[in-house]
Amino acid sequence: MDMRLINYINWSLLTCMVLLYLLGIGNLYSASTTRLETGFMFSDFYQRQLVWGLCGIVCMLAAMSFDYRRLRNLAWPLFLVSIVLLLLVSVMGKTVYGARRWLSLGFMSIQPSEMTKLALLLLAARLLARDQRPLGWKDFLTVLGIGLAPCLLIVMQPDLGTAIMLLLLLGGMILYRGLHGHVLKFCLLAAPCAAAFMWIAGLRDYQRQRILTFLDPGNDPRGAGYHILQSRIAIGSGELWGKGFQGGTQSQLRFLPERHSDFAMAVFGEEWGFVGCVALITLFCFFLFSIFSTVIQAKDRFGSLLAVGVFFYFFWQIFINIGMVIGLMPVVGIPLPFISYGGSATLLNFTLLGIVLNVSMRRFMFKG
Amino acid sequence: MEADSNNFMLGESQRQKGLRPWIKTYVETERHQPPRFGVFLLQGLVGLLFFVVVTRLWYLQIHRGAEFSRQAQENRLRYERIFAPRGRILDETGRVLADNRIAYGLSLLREDCHDIPATLAQISAFFRLPLPQIWDKYQQDRIKMKPYEPILMLTDIPFDQVARIASDIPDWPGLELVVRSKRSYPEKDLFAHILGYVAEVNEKEMAADLSLEMGDLAGKQGLELELEKQLRGRKGLYVVEVDAHARVLNKTLNQEPQSGREVRLSLNTALQQAAWDALGGEAGCIVVMEPDTGKLRALVTSPAYDNNLFAAGISKRDWEALRTSNRFPLQNRVIQSVYPPGSVWKLIMASLFLERGINPRETVHCAGEVKLGNQIFRCWKREGHGSMDMENAVIHSCDVYFYLMSERVGIDKIEAFAKDFGFGRPTGIDLPHEKSGLVPSRSWKKRQFGRGWAGGETYNVSIGQGYTLVTPLQIAVFVSALLNGGDLLKPQLLDNVPRESAGRVPAKAETLNFVANAMRKAVSGGTAHVVSRKDADMGGKTGTAQVVKLKMAAGDRRLRASEMEYAQRDHAWIATFGIKNGKSYVVVVMVEHGGGGSSVAGPVAAKIYDHLFDGSAKTKFAQRPLQNGQTN
Repeated sequence: MDMRLINYINWSLLTCMVLLYLLGIGNLYSASTTRLETGFMFSDFYQRQLVWGLCGIVCMLAAMSFDYRRLRNLAWPLFLVSIVLLLLVSVMGKTVYGARRWLSLGFMSIQPSEMTKLALLLLAARLLARDQRPLGWKDFLTVLGIGLAPCLLIVMQPDLGTAIMLLLLLGGMILYRGLHGHVLKFCLLAAPCAAAFMWIAGLRDYQRQRILTFLDPGNDPRGAGYHILQSRIAIGSGELWGKGFQGGTQSQLRFLPERHSDFAMAVFGEEWGFVGCVALITLFCFFLFSIFSTVIQAKDRFGSLLAVGVFFYFFWQIFINIGMVIGLMPVVGIPLPFISYGGSATLLNFTLLGIVLNVSMRRFMFKG
Repeated sequence: MEADSNNFMLGESQRQKGLRPWIKTYVETERHQPPRFGVFLLQGLVGLLFFVVVTRLWYLQIHRGAEFSRQAQENRLRYERIFAPRGRILDETGRVLADNRIAYGLSLLREDCHDIPATLAQISAFFRLPLPQIWDKYQQDRIKMKPYEPILMLTDIPFDQVARIASDIPDWPGLELVVRSKRSYPEKDLFAHILGYVAEVNEKEMAADLSLEMGDLAGKQGLELELEKQLRGRKGLYVVEVDAHARVLNKTLNQEPQSGREVRLSLNTALQQAAWDALGGEAGCIVVMEPDTGKLRALVTSPAYDNNLFAAGISKRDWEALRTSNRFPLQNRVIQSVYPPGSVWKLIMASLFLERGINPRETVHCAGEVKLGNQIFRCWKREGHGSMDMENAVIHSCDVYFYLMSERVGIDKIEAFAKDFGFGRPTGIDLPHEKSGLVPSRSWKKRQFGRGWAGGETYNVSIGQGYTLVTPLQIAVFVSALLNGGDLLKPQLLDNVPRESAGRVPAKAETLNFVANAMRKAVSGGTAHVVSRKDADMGGKTGTAQVVKLKMAAGDRRLRASEMEYAQRDHAWIATFGIKNGKSYVVVVMVEHGGGGSSVAGPVAAKIYDHLFDGSAKTKFAQRPLQNGQTN
């Protein structure tokens, strides 16, 4: 193996990743503690996350092991498989909590929407890498059309969070690539119309309720607004220095809902305070900048666009999840990378970072 | 340029190291240039993320951090009061007059209640109460309660109902059966005015005393009010840590409850009952006092009311009935009603005459009436008493003697002397709303009527008529002063308190002895003969006060001449003392509209002395069976 592969690897990204992963484990450990009358009860979320993380590292190494340019060929097949799986889900999926998202394989269940993220990212990178002119109508509509197909299937599950993630991912990449002036103008006009249409036709009642509750959480403090209020109390009561590791009352006494998954950041904010939160967000920003450096350094458009896709994949999750926890966004089920518990999400995170590392380490293979 | 950048070379990859030939790969021939806008976009987005999140975190954690910390505490900690039992009130012998009994209540904690309308409907079904009433109670208390403070929806639920619903309560989260202590008064009417009652505190009381909270009991009347500070204990406090499911994790005692102090009264229940029985349902009152110590042994006012009604929360109907009754059962006649003293007043006048140097042997001829100007003042005895000295005037209650002698001393002296004897001001008994009575004077007359004092008014005052108004307790204090050497004692309801003198009367010992002896003779051979006993040293003075009933109702309101014509039956008075085996008592009986003092009030006093000095009678009363509702 060429030693230059190691030399060119994006070390800062790797460092950020490992730090975030460890912080996530530590935070989950704290969030797993529940105080009862008789003492403490530990759930095993952090252990499971540890195992998922190790699996993720294996996935990451696998994703680094071959030349990323082969992914270009994998893009269409992977995308078509995803679509088929999504169709299968809508026909014979397993219904959990009223949503049909899982496909049972007998020995395990998979969530095809996770795979769709990867597939769409690859396909979009492939399509957008054809040239570097701003996108005209044809290219724009092609990419958009390809993106909308899985989104519609996922919205029907219903899983609005993932669908929005896909659209935002695609939108970010398109925006990065640049649009022709008239396409851009059209988009700016069409976006509010599409939003209005979504509001009327696309959203279910509970989703609409969530957005309304976000606008005025005090309206329903015991019901829909509970998450938002309790999360704000948890974060706010951390004050400057926080309540200390495992010292959060909001999480330990279970006032904070979803404290392992979507609201894990609130646990962190309660226990580490403003100082810890700023440190965490700074780390996240470094992390995003590390991906960004690969975007710049990549030697070909496909590799660069892959990194852009991964950048947006993480950026939107961080932005939406933290925004939700600190009350700047409505409650949507989007986890915080590395901090929230989640098996397939962890696998995907590591895999995507493996791809970025792949791009970064193979940039020497081109002659300038 | 476009063609170049669009140029993908097929097969180049196959020469690349590490790629297998079966994969076709497109490779750009030139190094790509990231779009400038795209680069700017990515950097800008990261900057925006940092800026927005840090700003918001600063707002939440620093700017409003303290507020959210408090909310986190409120989430977690609840305070639970521990009620302190109120001090019991006992009589002289230890018999319980005011007790605490267990009462069951139903409390509602809104925060734990999933469906309040359904829960309220269930309460209505449980207890067969109209739903609007439950809603009213809920709406009223809801605003007053802090978060996580339970609302006491029902109080004093009968035990059979508690037993019936107890097993269903756990199915209704937020509802809880609570045990509260309630006040009960086993003797009911007998001590109602003395004990008073407790009831739930109102907003004014809570504002005045911050330790009081909704649902607390506080004394509203009588000793319960007067001794509130001693009787009320100090509540304890639990700090309870709960989780989001309201499960209790930890309960720490923050403050130990302290029960209220037990209070022992000087009153004797058996004697009180005997006095009550002696009064026989008449409207009136009785004071039995020890002249040497000021201790009250019985204090009866009739008609009375059952103070348990108030302790349980009186119904509107019961309250209206009590309030509007023409027999005024709410009035404590011993201290809250003022009456003209009638002939009893002659004892004060005789003392004054002696102190003013009038020779007790000087006689006055009573012809049944005396003329002043064109007014005729009559003696109660139409045919006249003939020649009367001071002693005989007291014994036979001759009005003419007092008319004529009072002319010599004048109203100013009478006023000053009466006030020095404790009239015109409260005696200081430990009961609320005590009246002062009235000792008229020239300046008072001028203030009230705008006219000067007329000589005939001095005549009226001298026989305890006219404007003079006294409370029965003031008379008892005065008679005690005659016997104890001149101390105006504070009448004491409590057992273990020292003798308290409010001052001394400005009279020589001989004066007091003379008047006391005159009272003895009034018993042995005068108007107060009805209380005479062979086995005891007795003294007494009767009185028959002319009055209209209206006057009583209006309290201190002045008496108008026109009203005099509506006078119905007179008030009957007797002020007595009895000494036997070194034990001395003052007994004052006042029967409203009872008629003659000796015929109506006298026998009542006699029966009380029977009880006081007759051992068998005492035993009989002591064995009186316990009344229903008494718990120990």
